This record gives sequence, C-alpha cells and structure tokens, in this order.
Amino acid sequence: MSKKMYGLFFLWIIAAFLTSCSEKKQPAIPEDISFAATVNIKDMTISFVDLKKKELVGEWSMEKPYTGALILPDNDSILLYGKHLETADLYSLKEGKMIDSWETGEGIVNGILIDTNEIVLADQHLNKIRFFDLNGEEEKQVESEIDPLTLLESREKNKLFVLSFNHKKMGIIDLKSKVKSGEFTIHPSAAGAWLNEKNGEIWVGGHGEGVEIEQNIHVYDEETGKLKKKIPAASMPINFLGQENQVYVLSHGSNMLYKINESGEETASVSIAANPFEMTFAAHKLLVAGYDSNDLHILDPESLKTLKSIKVGEGPFKIVIRESVK
Amino acid sequence: MKFLTNSLAKKMWLTVTAAIIITILYSYLLSYLFYEKIYVDNVRDSLLTEGRSLASEYHGGALTEDIRKKIEWYNSKSETEIFIVSNPRELSACLPFEIDYQTLIGKSEREELLKGIPVEKLGYEKRFDRNIMGVIIPLLDDNRLQGIIYLYVPLAKISEITRDFAYLWLAAAAVFTVISITLGTMLVKKLTRPLLDMKDAAEHVSQGNYDVHLKIDSKDEIGQLANAFNYMSSSIRKEDEKKREFLANVSHELRTPISYVKGYSEAIISGMEKSEEDRKKYLQLILRESRRMERLVGDLLDLSKLESDEYKLEKMPLPLAQLIEDAIEKYKPVLREKNVDLQYRLNPEVIINGDEGRIEQVIQNIMDNSIRYTADGRICIRLSQERDQCLIEIEDTGIGISEEHLSKIKQRFYRVNKGRTRSDGGTGLGLAIAEKLVKLHQGELTVFSELNKGTTVRIMLPLLELK
Repeated sequence: MSKKMYGLFFLWIIAAFLTSCSEKKQPAIPEDISFAATVNIKDMTISFVDLKKKELVGEWSMEKPYTGALILPDNDSILLYGKHLETADLYSLKEGKMIDSWETGEGIVNGILIDTNEIVLADQHLNKIRFFDLNGEEEKQVESEIDPLTLLESREKNKLFVLSFNHKKMGIIDLKSKVKSGEFTIHPSAAGAWLNEKNGEIWVGGHGEGVEIEQNIHVYDEETGKLKKKIPAASMPINFLGQENQVYVLSHGSNMLYKINESGEETASVSIAANPFEMTFAAHKLLVAGYDSNDLHILDPESLKTLKSIKVGEGPFKIVIRESVK
Repeated sequence: MKFLTNSLAKKMWLTVTAAIIITILYSYLLSYLFYEKIYVDNVRDSLLTEGRSLASEYHGGALTEDIRKKIEWYNSKSETEIFIVSNPRELSACLPFEIDYQTLIGKSEREELLKGIPVEKLGYEKRFDRNIMGVIIPLLDDNRLQGIIYLYVPLAKISEITRDFAYLWLAAAAVFTVISITLGTMLVKKLTRPLLDMKDAAEHVSQGNYDVHLKIDSKDEIGQLANAFNYMSSSIRKEDEKKREFLANVSHELRTPISYVKGYSEAIISGMEKSEEDRKKYLQLILRESRRMERLVGDLLDLSKLESDEYKLEKMPLPLAQLIEDAIEKYKPVLREKNVDLQYRLNPEVIINGDEGRIEQVIQNIMDNSIRYTADGRICIRLSQERDQCLIEIEDTGIGISEEHLSKIKQRFYRVNKGRTRSDGGTGLGLAIAEKLVKLHQGELTVFSELNKGTTVRIMLPLLELK
C-alpha cells in the first residue's frame, strides 16, 4: 500500500517537474472582448483592460523583457518583441500560450502592421528595416540610418518614414518596391511623428539633445525635408495621434497632452498621468499610459477629460488595441 | 640588530615599546574610522533634515520660480551645496529611450525617488568630479517626479575636520608614547636588575667564593629563582666543606700509620732496637701499619667507585643463608680467641638478586665492627623473610653507641671516641661502604644501639622476584 503511495507521489513530483519545464500558460483572454493591452517594462507584465467595462481583465506575467507588441489581423495573435531578445514571440490570446517564435535576433525596438498586411520591424542591431509576412517569413531588409526608431506609414503615398533616434536623419522607403527612396536631415533625438497629408508636412517631436529639452514640434516639408516651422509643445513631445484635422500631442517631460489643429494652433491641453510615453485611440476614446504612474487613462477626445484611470503593471510603455468583431 | 637583541633588558624594552606603538596606531586607526563614520552619519542626517525641510516648501505642480529662488538664496547662505533640478532629462525621464547622456540620477535612483524615498550618495560623483556625501530629496506631485533637491557636502570638508582631530590625536599620542616608554623602561630595569645581580653572584660562585647570598624580596619567578640560587650556592658550600673535611680526615688517617712506619723504620736504621726480638716487633708494627694503609686506600677506592655513577653490580640469584654461613666461617677462630659466642638462625629459603662479592663485603664490614667492639659476649645473626623483603639482623652485646653518636655513625671516618686510635684496625669507612652497597641493592641499613648493652644492625633487602 505504502509502496504504491510512494510511487504515485514520485510520479506526481516528476509530472510537476516536467510541466514546470514546459511553456508557462497565461490566463486566456476571451475572444469576444475589446481590450487595450499595455506592455509594462518595469515588472515585465502585460495588462489587459476591457474597453467596454473599463476595467482590468487579465495580466500576463512574462519571463522575457518585452518592450512592444502588435496584434495580428487574425485578432487573436499578439506578437511580442524586445530590444534584448533573440526572438519575437507569438502568443495566442484565447489560449494564453506561445504558439510561435520568430528568429529575429536582438535589436527589435519598434514594429507596425502596414496596409499590405506586412509587419515592419525596426532593428537597431543590424540598423535595418525588416519586412515580415504574417507567418514570420522575412521578406526583405532595407538599410537604414543608425538606430531607427519611429516608423510612420503614408498610406496615400505608399511610403514609410523612418526616424533615426541618434543620427538626425529621416529615411524614406518606398513600400511598393521596398527600397530606400530618399532621406533628409532633421533635429537630434527625434521621436514620434505625424503626417499632415493635407499640408504636405511631417511633424516630428523629440526628447532634445544632451541637457537641452525639446520644447517644440518640428514641422518639415514632406517632399523637400525643409524645416518649415516649430510649434511649441513643452516639453518633450514624443507621441502624435492624428484625428480629423486635429492632432493630439503627448509631451512626457511636462506630462501634457495638447490638442493642436492642422495649422499648428493649440485648441486644448491637459496635464495627465506621470511621465506618459504612449497614447492611442480605441472605441472613440483616447488612451494614455503613465509610465511612472503605472496607469491607463481613458479620456474623452473632445473635452480631454479623464473618464477613468485604471491601474496597470509597472512601467506601461506600449499600448495595443484589439477591437472585437464579434 | 644583534646590538639590539644581545640583552634581555633590550629585548623586553623593544617588546614593550613595540606593544605601546602598535596599540597607539591601532587605536588611532579605529577611532579615526569611528569618528569618520559618526561624522558622515551625522552629516547625512543633517542633510536629510535640511532637504526635507526645504522640500516642505514645495506644494505640488510644476516647480515655480519662487521655490527656485528660495533654494538659490538658501544655497548662498548655507555651507552645504544645494540645488534644485526639474529637467526631466536629468531625472532620467527618457530612460527607456536610451539617450546618450550622463543623467544626474540613474534608473534605480529614479524608482526610489518615485516612491518618495530620498537617495543617499557617498563617494565619487562623475558629475561633480569629486568625492561627495549627498542626499537627493524627491519633489513629488502625486506620482509625478517634478523635481529633486540635491544637497551635498564635498568629502574633502569632512577630511579637513578629521585632520584637526588627527593633529590633536597625534599630539596626545606623542605625549602618551613618551610617558609610557619612560615608565616601560623603568619597569624593565626593575625587572631585570635581580637577573644582573644573579649573574654577578654566579660569577662569584664560579670563582670559588661560595658565601654569596642574594637579597631579593619579590615572590615572583625571579624571586623563586633567586631563592633556588641561594639554596644551590649554600649546597655547593656544604659540599665543599664536606670535601675539605674528608681530605683532612684522609690525611689524618694516613698520618698515623705513616708516622708509625717512619718512626720504627728510623729506629731500625739507627739501630735503636736492643734485641733481635725488638727488631722483629718493630718490623711487625711496620707491616701492620702498612696493611692498614693498604686497607684504607682500598676502602677509599671502593667508596669512590661506589659513588661514581658507572659502578655496576654483577647481580645474580643468591641463596643468602649459604653466603652468610660461608662468610662467618672464617671469623670462628677470632671469635673463639675473643671468647665470643656466635649464634645464628638463618632461613635457607631466602634468595635475593645481588652481587655476591658485595653482599659478602657488607656482612664482613658489619661483622668486623661487631667483633671489634665485643669481648666476652655474644653475636647473634638472624636471617628471615618479611613479605617481599628479607631481613638480616646482626646483634652483639658489645660496648654499644650512645644516642648522640648514633645518628653520625654512618659518616665516613666518624669516631665515637675521638681519642681512640686505630689500633683496633678499622678504617672508619666500613659502615659507610656497607650502607652504600645496601642502597645500591635497593635496600636499607639501620643501626639500633644502647650504650654498654649492645648494637643491632638491620639490613632489609628486596627478595628475588620470581617471574
């Protein structure tokens, strides 16, 4: 009897050991909810906020330092990447587990899904812009300036603008042929950009160089790269979000959110969160993540009033949205 | 170096001095460390208090010009370097973007500050290019790090203060060193003087002057050594006296027979004898005295041999009864002549492990004495066994020895009646030799006597151990 018990116990221990070795299973995220997910750098978690209920519905505790994410068109796969990771990992939301791993190598700092259902990754290790299909097959690599960071797609002109963080360069890639079609010089420590297609302008923010703090948005001519003007948006404007002749500008140095019209006039502003880096639209609401305050603010885009702020993991650095189709 | 270590006093002095200097240096180091630690702790506490009180001027929101002015004004009045920083770049606000800039505070420090915990700095700061003791107080508006108040004191200032302390210490240490070395030297002198005295005394003794006596009162090891030395020198003196006495005795004992031999031989040479009979008598006397001298010299030789460590007994199992019987056999004519009755009762089973010749010599020496001092009496010899020993008793009814002489009877050349000549033929060494031999056999010889009644000599000897 007791021998049998020991045997069972032993088996149980082995089973526990083996399962602990296998991939960690995360709480499943139901298919039928729309959520905003924040990738939190400081505590290596991903927080899921139900956009309808405006509350936290799940949190994934990760084993790797992911810094960004992308939701793929199937609305269930989430691609997670990080600068110091060898792979970009694909997780299924409804299953809560890893389903694929793309051998990208280190250096991936940003990624966007472009109109052609391709994934574009900025690689600061190779200093290249890399194109992947949805199955993780690499299609093309395009040389960029050192330290590419911000990626901006012009759907109308089928172009991709690439901001080099430390090298005062803006590169332009033709998305059809996937070759570099031009570049122009910009200000240093540039981050965040918005394409004002109506005026043929590209608005670029930044952190400022050295001890200097960036106080302005630099407006360049989309074609010539000539600096047209500077729009004050103190301090450190680093995130842009265009919406119906308006652009929302997030300045992390002063914790300010500005609403600016196409001609560069400020129409509204609000002080928000603590050290906010990331901002996005979802369900007709504006979402802002506070990197130091560890929260996600849901704002009314018109009045800029905070409707609700929700605590998320520590150091939210990236927001991704999934709007449920069901 | 040899010059320094060639005397105990110098060695002790060196040890004491080294101990004092090491103690001073060590205590200096320790107190310097403690002083610095206490001082640094104190500075940090006061910086924290100062910083917190300045931070209480901040009431949320962006940093105003007013508070900047206040801090600037305070900085101009205070010894401490104080400044306020609101530049988010300096506060590492852009951290995830890896901007190539050496910020004032780092990532972990920013996290601490965001929690409202002041950060402490001790050591080299690249920004100021010097060693500092600093404190950073966060200015938080809810969870926004709006700025910091940075307070620091260059560590050079702290070492300036400890330098003052060090001078004071050095002066005090110098005085202490001089005093303690002086006292140490005195102590070393006091401790080593008796040793020097002893050395002088030993030199006196080695020159043959045994009358030295050290006057050292201390009860410590040196005092004990001095006592031992005194005891040793008195022992040497006694031994020397014994030696002199012995030589005097030997020369005295020899002088008598020599003067006999000389006198009678001179008488014969000068023809003083009146008849052939006289001449024969003189020659007899010369022969007798010569024999006595021979015996005396033989006995002295035996005694000196016995006293040397090399003397070896040729031990073998001896049936003692047989040996005694053989030994007394030759005395029978003499005993008959002196009309002395001999009785003996010997246990034939007694066997000892001994040197046959030497044991016989013991019996002979004692028998000689008994016969010499007994006339018209009785000599009784008994041999018996007492547990693991045997007892030989030789009892006579001779003239006996008075109590005052009894204790000295075994000394060499001791005579009960000093006036008595050696006409009876004894050398005065017989009993001394007998006792020596008995002792060599791990035995014991004791003499009991009563004046005019008789003497008993008891010899205890260990029996042969049968394995």
